[in-house]
Amino acid sequence: MTTKSALRRSAVLGAAALAACGSLAAFAGSASAARKASSGTYLVGVSEPMTGAEAEAGTEIYDGELLAAAKINAAGGVLGHQIVLKEEDDACDPQTSVNAANKLVSLGVQAMVGGYCSSAAQPAEPIYARAGIPNIQAAANSTTLVQGGYHNVFLIDPGGSLQAVEAAGLFTKVLKTKKLLIADDQSTYAVNVAQLTAKDLKGSSTQVLPIQAVPATNQDFSAVINTVRAEGATAIYWTGYFAQAAEFVRQLRTAGLTIPFVTADGSVDPTFIKDAGADANGVYSTIAVLTSFLTGPAAKAFDSAYVARFHSQPGPYSAYGYDGVFALRDAAVAAHSLVPAKVIAALHHLKFDGLTGVVSFAPNGSRIGAHFVVLEVVGGKYVLAPHQP
Amino acid sequence: MVSVIWSVVPPDIVAGLFLGAFFALIAVGYSMVYGILRLINFAHGDFYMVAAFVSYAILGAITVGTRVNWGNVVWVGLVTMLAGGVLAVAVERLVYRPMRRAAVLSLMIAALGVSQILENGVLNIPQWGSNYLPFPVTPPASGFDVASVHYTWTQLAIVIAAFVLIVGVHYLVNHTMVGTAMRAVAQDRPAATLMGINTDRIVSLVFFLGGALAGAAAVMASLYYGQINYLMGFSIGLQAFTAAVLGGIGNVAGAAVGGLLLGILESVGTGIFGAQWALLFAFGALVLTLWLRPTGLLGERVGQRV
Repeated sequence: MTTKSALRRSAVLGAAALAACGSLAAFAGSASAARKASSGTYLVGVSEPMTGAEAEAGTEIYDGELLAAAKINAAGGVLGHQIVLKEEDDACDPQTSVNAANKLVSLGVQAMVGGYCSSAAQPAEPIYARAGIPNIQAAANSTTLVQGGYHNVFLIDPGGSLQAVEAAGLFTKVLKTKKLLIADDQSTYAVNVAQLTAKDLKGSSTQVLPIQAVPATNQDFSAVINTVRAEGATAIYWTGYFAQAAEFVRQLRTAGLTIPFVTADGSVDPTFIKDAGADANGVYSTIAVLTSFLTGPAAKAFDSAYVARFHSQPGPYSAYGYDGVFALRDAAVAAHSLVPAKVIAALHHLKFDGLTGVVSFAPNGSRIGAHFVVLEVVGGKYVLAPHQP
Repeated sequence: MVSVIWSVVPPDIVAGLFLGAFFALIAVGYSMVYGILRLINFAHGDFYMVAAFVSYAILGAITVGTRVNWGNVVWVGLVTMLAGGVLAVAVERLVYRPMRRAAVLSLMIAALGVSQILENGVLNIPQWGSNYLPFPVTPPASGFDVASVHYTWTQLAIVIAAFVLIVGVHYLVNHTMVGTAMRAVAQDRPAATLMGINTDRIVSLVFFLGGALAGAAAVMASLYYGQINYLMGFSIGLQAFTAAVLGGIGNVAGAAVGGLLLGILESVGTGIFGAQWALLFAFGALVLTLWLRPTGLLGERVGQRV
């Protein structure tokens, strides 16, 4: 209760601070910009897990951001200011993340680009909101992050909702599915993807059967499989998590049904392949494009620059960190200012071609325009499916 | 719509039998323990879970490659039944027996405690943990087709084995000397003691049988569903308990009938209304049964239960 009201209060405070910044920007903003401008640097905070189980992912995202900053600085920086990244470890832990946020804010960072763990990013949100600085999340993608009502939160990783579009494309164009059965595990995330996909397919060449919401504790899919058979479904889209996905596809194949089985990104996990065994092969998955699956000259250049500097392949979300820093640069350039409130306003109208697709944001700060891909399990490994929608 | 229902319902009834066989095996343990101690043993679902991990460990150690060695599966199944039985007896001896004179409510809370201890115990074993572990043995898909629906020989074997085990226990309880002693203890424990029955040993035996059936269910379900997890006993335990109540808690045949019925209800509910309605349909039936026939379908007066 205390936490909740405290959160709400900080949201109000944050919003009030932003409103004040907006209306008084001409005066207050220019004063602070003048102060920062004299230093000649653009101080940007980075909060990532650098220790603990998620340390590898955090380091890889940070490295992507370092590359972006180096490239921008080499080209003259942001409005003549060199980007300086100030890194703090959030250890993928809510408390550590709050400490890191407080420290970064007290150091006077003018923006924040980072974030891998949603659970760590969430409690830091009010701190960045109160400071009135842009809070760009590179890879944390829970929808709850954009439900706090903060005006300054932007997610580079699109999370769930956009993959409905990808899924719809897969079923209508690639698989040419006549009748589709969508099933979820009753979790918020899975239900969301399931319903959006059904909506996107309305009126298309793919007929969608009523969505089956299978309780997450259910191991037995035989009744659902009977429905698949009786209704004559020609493909299945499972939007829940990997443990049930393995059960579902195994029981489907055991029952002698060979129709395409497609999962959403919640089921993309090595455990799925281990548990489903041979039945994992041929399973498709829709997922936001990971760095290793990016194609095109820009991605190639990023890849070789990354390897040259860090002597290792980029991680799955390195490109998201890279795009996050460029989003900040482009917003500041568009705003002709480093003033946080102006940069936030510009981020809301931003649109540029990033490594991970078009980067722009919905009014609540969630990503629009990211590339999604279809993966296929071949020989017990995830590879890019040969035919993309 | 009608034609779809017609093509769904018969295979759903068969699918419900498989699910119901697992419910029934676990429900028998619930039912017998309730019959003799008036205790709803909430740890019973976790006996099933621990047994699944025991069979996982043994099969994982002896299985080479992916071919199924049915000889191994059978003897591991028997060892797992033994392990489930021994675990149940140990819990009864260490936790429930010292509390024999305590209020039933205290016993049930102790049962919830045992359930937590078993779950978190398995969680803390490094090789097991919280992951979904793939069962080392995958049964082949070969089998037979009925009305264009494919069933495997393994599924058939599971249902037959469950049936044989339950009929065996039913015979033991109703047609043998030991069974007579069990029923006597269930009816009136002090009087049974006065008649020279070693009631502690009878209670242990009841726990052993329940644990062993849970062990059998664990091997079968792991084989059938292919993965195990430290929380797998919770949901199925609750449903088995429901099955026991549905059939009339306290007797073996009731648990079996209740299990099969609950499995069929969930399956048919899914087929007609969709997966999100399955539990509603099944538990709605439970509420109706309790209204119309509070003792359950095959329920007897409490005094006669075992």
